[in-house]
Amino acid sequence: MEFSVNKADLVRELSLSQGVVEKKTTIPILSNLLLEARGDRLYITATDLELGLRTSCPAKVRKEGSGTIPAKKLLDYVRLLPDAEITVKFAENNWASLTCGRSRTRIAGMSRESFPELPAMPEDAQTLPAKTLAAMISRTMFAISMEESRFTLNGALLLIGDRGLTMVATDGHRLAYTQQDAETTAPSNVAYRALVPRKAMGEITKLSDGSTDESVVKFAGDDNHLFFEFGPRMLITRKLTGNFPDYERVLPQENTNIATLSKDEVKSAIERVAQFADERSRAIRVQFATGEVKIFSSSLETGESEESVPSQYEGPELEIGFNAQYLLDFLRAVPQDQIQFALKDQKSAGELQPAGEVTGQYRYVVMPMRI
Amino acid sequence: MDAFFVSVEELFDPSLKGKPVVVGGKHDERGVVSAASYAARKFGVHSAMPLRTAYQKCPQAIFVPGHPERYKEYSGRVYEILQRFSPRVEMASIDEAYLDMTGTERLLGSPLQAAHKLHQEVKAATNLNCSIGIASSRLVAKISSDQAKPNGVLYILPGLEASFLAPLAVAKIPGVGKVMNQKLQEIGIRRIGDLAAMEERDLERRFGKWGLALAGKAHGEDAGGWFDSEIGERSDPKSISHEHTFGEDTRDPVRLEATLTHLSEKVARRLREHGFRTRTVQLKLRYSDFTTITRAQTLPEPTQLDIDLAEASRKLFHDHWNSRQTVRLLGVHISGFTADETQGNLLDGGRSERWRNALEAADKLRDKFGESAVGLGSGMRGHYRERVQENPAALPGKAPQKPA
Repeated sequence: MEFSVNKADLVRELSLSQGVVEKKTTIPILSNLLLEARGDRLYITATDLELGLRTSCPAKVRKEGSGTIPAKKLLDYVRLLPDAEITVKFAENNWASLTCGRSRTRIAGMSRESFPELPAMPEDAQTLPAKTLAAMISRTMFAISMEESRFTLNGALLLIGDRGLTMVATDGHRLAYTQQDAETTAPSNVAYRALVPRKAMGEITKLSDGSTDESVVKFAGDDNHLFFEFGPRMLITRKLTGNFPDYERVLPQENTNIATLSKDEVKSAIERVAQFADERSRAIRVQFATGEVKIFSSSLETGESEESVPSQYEGPELEIGFNAQYLLDFLRAVPQDQIQFALKDQKSAGELQPAGEVTGQYRYVVMPMRI
Repeated sequence: MDAFFVSVEELFDPSLKGKPVVVGGKHDERGVVSAASYAARKFGVHSAMPLRTAYQKCPQAIFVPGHPERYKEYSGRVYEILQRFSPRVEMASIDEAYLDMTGTERLLGSPLQAAHKLHQEVKAATNLNCSIGIASSRLVAKISSDQAKPNGVLYILPGLEASFLAPLAVAKIPGVGKVMNQKLQEIGIRRIGDLAAMEERDLERRFGKWGLALAGKAHGEDAGGWFDSEIGERSDPKSISHEHTFGEDTRDPVRLEATLTHLSEKVARRLREHGFRTRTVQLKLRYSDFTTITRAQTLPEPTQLDIDLAEASRKLFHDHWNSRQTVRLLGVHISGFTADETQGNLLDGGRSERWRNALEAADKLRDKFGESAVGLGSGMRGHYRERVQENPAALPGKAPQKPA
């Protein structure tokens, strides 16, 4: 195999593949990238067996063929080369020679035979708006459980219906739900349902960077995998298996006490007050009273703090404990300026939403802490 | 406390006074002696000895089953008095405590005056005798209180620790058990004075770190092992366990399961007292032929609920029990603690909240009416008579016990 590529093109594609390459070295071939030169393109494939990424860039192919090369070493080296054309040539013994200007390097590769085959995308793909998908991920991803033992919560639920997309994530303490009307090509009124692993969501965010309102992603699923195709790049992820909790049961129905607040005001107030919350529990007390919301923290080690934020609130006086981090996660993700805090009582889940006329829905449910 | 369990028994049955009494169970029962009266000790009966051996040594002794609730109650009364004498109290066992008296002189007078006052107040409140050792270290205080028994007060003046210890047998040092004593005898060390005369380096070469600790102890210092924290400093447990040896070996699955449930309730209760949740449950299973297996399971989420532990231990049991073999002993051991969760659960439909409330109420009932006041139905058949050790393996434990 022999080809030449533009340095900037190669660096861009290699950078995208780094998140997918296996970090542990238990299976050495997974630390390598598969390079394939065919037609007028160079195809680059990375996988850690959970996730796979196939991307490509234009290349002058002198001799078609394939080979593998250590991903990190290749990027670290190529990044340092001058902006010029790089020529890559694979020898019979799996060594790759790189030539660029006055630089010449040989890198030890491995035989491509041991590189795993990625599954092919099923035929019945549909198209989703890329920007919308990325926005929905940013509104839910933080609520995914970090507890590896709770594997059905290690990703988000994606529902694709004929009227739009729904995404839900929860860690058992809080739940983020977002629904967006969107033009899909979903075939029937039965929603397509899949659990998308957290790591794949991170990669989708990266791949949709720079998307416009018109950008689309081609999406399909088979029994074990989900496929997301962004133009010349395709991300393949294993599906999470298992039953996602019945989220509709968790969405509050009777939270009639509503406080409307300026997002920036309440966010800054919580950020300051939380400096004096217990470091492990991150507990703050939030007091809802007519005309204002007060936020308190105290910690035996560091001190105590309180702030008041003006609010429209007509309900009964309520004092509820919350994990400050959980509230901030939502306040940092919600794009609108005004938010609503809907409550029932001290022990029931509270709900946060953007206030006023909003296209699409964003609901965030947080369980209180005992105080 | 002097012969604590026996003395408490005597309060309830004065006819026992002066007679050889063995607390722990019937003379032909499996199990060990919890406590023996001074009269029984003359026959060579001591705590931790099998009941049947005690019977051989002293067949005329009166064997009583023991009343753990009473002992806890009296221990609690004594603890209340101790707290009036110092803010820093460490219950070393159910009938032993250390008080840090630093800075109490203006309030309570000289050490001897304070000790006399304490002695009188304990007697007045409980009608029980105790012995008090006063010294500059816990080690010497413990040994001097032993020397002061029965019903005495002994004050070792600062500076005289080594000369007080010198003539005593090395086995008087807490932590020197049978094996260590034997090793010391072999090299000609019989008295603490012999030990004090040894070079520190020689002891270290021979016994490692323990040797260094011994050298310190021989001079009356709280060196190593049980005495390395401040008095009254609360040290959190790393694990909690309860086990039960059946009166008769059994393979009745209902009985075995019930016992596991009951053991789980007991460990969970102590777990809640410490304000922890646990992540690892371990089953201990001993067959009649003494083959013993332990099997552990990590829970998906930390818990402090009786039912979660009972479920996990019963599952471990069913996965590993060879049902053709009869079981002698079952134990439940938990470890891997994390702080109590104050964050509510969104997905369990209020289950953990309801259990928490129920167990909180149950724990209050147990505090008031005793441990068997309320429990899980499935554990009812697993109840057994609780045994307590007066002052178990001759060592003062470090963990302060929470009096009932």
